Amino acid sequence: MGLLRYTIVRLIQAIPVLIGITVITFILANVAPGDPVRLMLQGQEVDQELIDRIERQYGLDRPLHERYVAYMTNLLQGDLGYSIHRDRPVTELIIQRSGPTLMLVLSAYAFALATAIPLGILAATRRNEPADHVSRIVALVGVSTPSFWIGIMLILIFAIQLGVLPSSGLVYPWWGPEHYGYSGYVELLFQTIRHLLLPMIALGTLQMATLMRVERTQMIESLQGEYVKLARAYGVPERTILRKHAFQVAQLPIITIVGLNLSTALGGAVLIEYVFNINGLGRLLLEAIIGLDYQLIMGITVVIGTMFVVGVIITDISYAYVDPRVTYGDRD
Amino acid sequence: MAEPLLRVDNLKTQFFTDAGTVRAVDGISFEVHEGEIVGLVGESGAGKSVASMSLLRLVESPGEIVGGEITYRGETIFGLEEGPDGELRERDDMLSNEEMRDRIRGNEIAVIFQDPMESLNPVFTVGGQLREFIELNRGLGEDEAREESVEMLREVGIPDPAERYHEYPHQFSGGMRQRVLIAMALACEPNLIIADEPTTALDVTVEGQILELVDDLQAKYGTSFIWVTHDMGVVAEICDRVNVMYLGEIIEQAPVDELFHDTKHPYTTALLNSMPRPDRTVEELEPIRGVMPEAINPPSGCRFHPRCPDAREVCKRVHPGNEVVDRADGTPHRAACVKHDVFDVGYDESVPLEEEPQVTAGTPGGEDR
Ligand SMILES: Nc1ncnc2c1ncn2[C@@H]1O[C@H](COP(=O)(O)OP(=O)(O)OP(=O)(O)O)[C@@H](O)[C@H]1O
Ligand code: SF4
Ligand SMILES: [Mg+2]
Repeated sequence: MGLLRYTIVRLIQAIPVLIGITVITFILANVAPGDPVRLMLQGQEVDQELIDRIERQYGLDRPLHERYVAYMTNLLQGDLGYSIHRDRPVTELIIQRSGPTLMLVLSAYAFALATAIPLGILAATRRNEPADHVSRIVALVGVSTPSFWIGIMLILIFAIQLGVLPSSGLVYPWWGPEHYGYSGYVELLFQTIRHLLLPMIALGTLQMATLMRVERTQMIESLQGEYVKLARAYGVPERTILRKHAFQVAQLPIITIVGLNLSTALGGAVLIEYVFNINGLGRLLLEAIIGLDYQLIMGITVVIGTMFVVGVIITDISYAYVDPRVTYGDRD
Repeated sequence: MAEPLLRVDNLKTQFFTDAGTVRAVDGISFEVHEGEIVGLVGESGAGKSVASMSLLRLVESPGEIVGGEITYRGETIFGLEEGPDGELRERDDMLSNEEMRDRIRGNEIAVIFQDPMESLNPVFTVGGQLREFIELNRGLGEDEAREESVEMLREVGIPDPAERYHEYPHQFSGGMRQRVLIAMALACEPNLIIADEPTTALDVTVEGQILELVDDLQAKYGTSFIWVTHDMGVVAEICDRVNVMYLGEIIEQAPVDELFHDTKHPYTTALLNSMPRPDRTVEELEPIRGVMPEAINPPSGCRFHPRCPDAREVCKRVHPGNEVVDRADGTPHRAACVKHDVFDVGYDESVPLEEEPQVTAGTPGGEDR
């Protein structure tokens, strides 16, 4: 069971990384300028005694390391603190807002992969023909255009000019059709997709562009491999060579790129949520930063950091699953 | 003599590169008969691999077969004719790409590739790859093909074949992978196997084992081989007849004994003298002087003349074809060297060439034929 052990080892290795994330965010949040208590009181004239009392209540008077230990103890119990501004537990806020962000990022990747792989293969097999040139231009535009700008353009064209797609908000299928007053699940699905389409494309275009170029390069290289010549020499049809022999090898780097780009995708999600008025983690983070809502900032940072680490681990494991040459430390 | 299994006549394959036309294979002719092992010998870059791939019509772009004829069991693998407009075009009886793929490649002619490290696909199991080729070329079902694969792995000397069937190429050593490539060729039960330097990447002991294996299997299945190598020792060990290639041309062609004991071309002599032998010390080895020029711009006249110890002035002018210079038991012994009387171009009267400083690229100029 090499793969299972590898998975466990990777998970154990992630623990120090996750601790590191909490330490850094904790220190950053606590040394950042701005006194949270005064900010919370919004400039009201109060005496020092009240401030001290509030600080004691939230444990702000204790030394940093004690506060960190307390924070971690709570975190391990699933308690990420309390948002003073919103008067709600951070964990509850984050759970509420994670759904939209995950939905957005995953759909953006799905869109990127579903378009990049066929287009990349097309470009590789029609090298230096019109299809290849078109794909090159699409990729160049995709890489060099900021996602929020793409988002705004999509809204202008499809929501405002053509009026065919909504410009803001998402429909969350887990809330059920009744919540939205839809006739049934078919309409729910339809509306989910309709709302998701523009933000998904806006966020996914960059990924699509990068992945397409990587796919093209990898397929070209793979098609020149000796194993492709061998397959040809044994009469394997060109279609099979493309779909199986060359394709499988070419997918390995794609998996790596997907993992590495996860941070860009999560970062991009913050802006896209803002542009499209989506109540996701990204917007919550922006609002928390503006309001200096420390507990919330830390909570979201830790959660996004964890998502990233988990994403990278999943990438590593799928890579190990697809590429037999990856050795899992020692072999049995 | 019976109709040969494979006949290659004046085959020319060229690469059209930015730097110019590379005449990688420049008019070679040879035959392979049933059950024979025919050697194709020459230094690196002589055109051996390009010639091999041409036989399967698998020359890679920017390369192209530009002339000649390849006939396999009476079927035309490649052939040109002059169309009504005077342009050369492919003959109607030439096998289509689909026929080449479905009927010839693998099932009739199989190749053992040169590079065991790169030739197997890293993401599929060894057994899976073998099975795929067997299914495709022998029309067997999955289970039968799997059994056959395991059997074949055993046959080429892979221990625990049933377990190793499920392993990936990186779990095999170079010698083991080479055996897998050999198993692939044999398993498809072709009539002709082109073995492109299948032992070059291996150390001497493994090479010895593999040569023995091929000898056994050849005796058992009666398969014909084209054995590509630059090693005269290997040639002596397994070949029946030999073609020596130099810069895209076959410059000597003879049964193996005649080639070794009655050598007719100075290049072959040089190759033999550069070969380590038990009766010679290392000091006695004579490396061939100079290096082989680029096929993009071959020397005028005899292409070997800048390196030939016997070169005379006439060799720079006259381009010798591969002519019959002798016969042994009715088998022709061909050589492309104007020393021999059949050429009658005044070699004897011609002045010897000065030992020129070695040039790598030949002097440009036309060839007289
Ligand atoms: N794809 C290509 N493009 C341009 N030239 C090529 C290409 N492939 C081969 N050639 C040229 O064709 C000539 C013959 O090459 P080939 O690979 O047949 O040599 P070889 O005899 O098999 O040598 P080796 O012993 O190194 O395998 C060389 O001059 C080489 O540069
Ligand atoms: S033709 Fe002349 S140069 Fe060529 S091999 Fe013979 S002697 Fe040497
Ligand atoms: Mg070669």
